[in-house]
Amino acid sequence: MSVVFGLAAVIAFMGALGVVLSQRTIYSAMSLVLNMVALAVLFLLLDAQFIAAVQIIVYAGAVMVLFVFIIALLSPGAEERLRSVELRLLLGGVGAVAFTLLIGRLTLNGITVGAHGRLHGALGPFSPVAVNAHGQVQTLGDQLFTTYLLPFEVTSLLLLVAAVGAVYLSRRRRQLA
Amino acid sequence: MSGLFPGFLILSAAMFAIGAAGVLVRRNPIVVFMCIELMLNSANLALVTYARYTHTMAGQVFALIVIAVAASEVVVGLALITGVYRSGRRLDLDELSEMSE
Repeated sequence: MSVVFGLAAVIAFMGALGVVLSQRTIYSAMSLVLNMVALAVLFLLLDAQFIAAVQIIVYAGAVMVLFVFIIALLSPGAEERLRSVELRLLLGGVGAVAFTLLIGRLTLNGITVGAHGRLHGALGPFSPVAVNAHGQVQTLGDQLFTTYLLPFEVTSLLLLVAAVGAVYLSRRRRQLA
Repeated sequence: MSGLFPGFLILSAAMFAIGAAGVLVRRNPIVVFMCIELMLNSANLALVTYARYTHTMAGQVFALIVIAVAASEVVVGLALITGVYRSGRRLDLDELSEMSE
């Protein structure tokens, strides 16, 4: 289990670094695909099978295809190097390390993990055993359509607005004048 | 399994920090969008991790919603980028400063 976690974590980390450090845009996109597939493996480790499947289908499938289409369409090529780019990368790296330490310190502060992977404090009813007995997707669907119905419906409205907005933004401008 | 809980959170924090640094450092708007995706992904990882270790479902539900939000954000953002490209400007965030002047 921890071997798989270590492997997937290293791949996800290298993918994240590749997105930022690649000179060519298409290499950044490929690194992001690598990162997302590794994240899907991590979701499987966390007993979130449905999220892992959605991650592959929506992110590594739909979103990245859109990115690659736009890169092929606009062909931005290599980003030209300015004289201050090394300074930028150095400052960005220092900032990223400091930020990681800060977030890590804050999230792990006061959290202790006891036996059987339980956090101290009140636990919800959805233990992995109970969820798997009922079915992971069934449990998620039950929650989505009962307790979290309002966020779900608002999300559908958001997707509608995004679709209309994309069509409006990408149509030809001639009709306006 | 319990020992991995800090590992997931630290990986999530590192990915978020790398994404944030990329947003600040890179000048190509497409790469900046990919870095924003990276940050949203790291938030998803943290949500699912907490959902798993507190035995709740809310984290997974909201990870699903974050994925939907990220998809719509990419659609609108890339439409904006193609619009900028079509207006004849170079795709460089440092040069797109008309609105600040």
